[in-house]
Amino acid sequence: MQNSELSQTYKEYLLILKECSPYDFSEYSDNSIDRRIQKIRHDYHLSMPDLIQKTKSDPEFVEQVVEAITVNTTELFRDPKVWNQLRQKVLPTFKNHPKINIWHAGCSTGQEVYSLIILLDDLNLLDKAAIYATDISQKALEHAKRGSYRFSFNYEKYLTNFQGAFEQSDTPDIKKYFNINESKDTISIKPQFLGRVKYIKHDLVKEELPFYNKFDLIFCRNVLIYFNGALQTKIVQRFHDNLFPGGNMVLGSHETLNGFFKTKFAKNGPVYARTNSFHLKY
Amino acid sequence: MQATDFKIVVIGGSAGSFSVVSAILASIHPQFKIPIVLCLHRLKHVRSGLVEGLSLKSVIKVLEPNDKEKLQYNHVYLAPANYHLFLELDGTIALSTEESFNHSRPSIDYTLSSAAYVYREKALGILLTGANKDGAYGMKDIAGKKGFTIVQDPATCDIDTMPRSALQLFDPNLILSPKEIVQFLNTLPH
Repeated sequence: MQNSELSQTYKEYLLILKECSPYDFSEYSDNSIDRRIQKIRHDYHLSMPDLIQKTKSDPEFVEQVVEAITVNTTELFRDPKVWNQLRQKVLPTFKNHPKINIWHAGCSTGQEVYSLIILLDDLNLLDKAAIYATDISQKALEHAKRGSYRFSFNYEKYLTNFQGAFEQSDTPDIKKYFNINESKDTISIKPQFLGRVKYIKHDLVKEELPFYNKFDLIFCRNVLIYFNGALQTKIVQRFHDNLFPGGNMVLGSHETLNGFFKTKFAKNGPVYARTNSFHLKY
Repeated sequence: MQATDFKIVVIGGSAGSFSVVSAILASIHPQFKIPIVLCLHRLKHVRSGLVEGLSLKSVIKVLEPNDKEKLQYNHVYLAPANYHLFLELDGTIALSTEESFNHSRPSIDYTLSSAAYVYREKALGILLTGANKDGAYGMKDIAGKKGFTIVQDPATCDIDTMPRSALQLFDPNLILSPKEIVQFLNTLPH
């Protein structure tokens, strides 16, 4: 279950994966990637040599490996306090912008994409928004496009989060945004809120980005925790480069930036505003 | 018989463990040196307030760590709601949102097993009252690496499923009441 004693093995595997596929997991954090690979071997009943052999010879299997490595945990308005902060403090600053460019980096199955759409709609900002959402997992993207989730296990939590996001103001009826069908066990975003997002398969580790514009808001929640420090730095630098001055980056509630970046962003909880210059204290 | 140069204390618990942990943190030596990691299951819809609740009586600083945060002496780290917590070889904490394990996130097994792997005989694992078997295998992992293990005496538990599951798997070094656990901890250097 924990780190295999032969830690070389999975590192070797990652190098082979990098050589014979477009995917590079070599800078993922050791502990978590080791655990994911052990899970794959367990689920597919594969020894390490078998896994390597299959990876070299079967591109479809490689896609399955990528899906299995990816962690897709997400929920509607996860950490409602953050969404409340966005609704009350951050999004209103875009009122006079002609356009709001938004990127969900590592959007998973889309719950947080729709969380933001709901807040934008509530603030009458949705028509100004250009929303891009990327993920390494094709399966997750397809699910995100459908915007339909299981009712059981989710609804109670989603409703509590929804109410938390609107605390201190008029909470709209959740049915304004979702069709709820208990017999089919679904909670689905209403059709008028679908089709407003450009979903693109993209591996964050790769240098080139699939868009040409800069952003006012970048969401990257609970993704960086799977990367090692060096890769985190690289990605955060890329976010910084692609934010307009004053633009905001939103991380997971238990993710922070290391020392160097503390001068490039002004932190307010998990919301990081890109500053124009270094804060030099002499 | 007891090793005293522990580098980490991991305490796991579920139903009924809040008052036990709270009592431990209230009566532990204020200069207790070794970092304490708490992995406690929470009620499904009560996600916040645990760190504040524990801080009320604790004589040591209690915090919910961030990913890749370095462990410090004389601190208590509470696994944040909805994240697994792992201890890393470089003395940092890693968080993860991977699938629930034993229907739990945080999973006590994950935290304990990572402590066993990283700290081996210098890990002290304590498993408290709870209504689920999470934690039993992690405790066994600590015992397997010659770490020190304490299981709360089932007779003193609100719900004894968790300690009993552990006792079925291995023989811990000690089976103690909450009071005795505090006494034991306070024999450790501070």
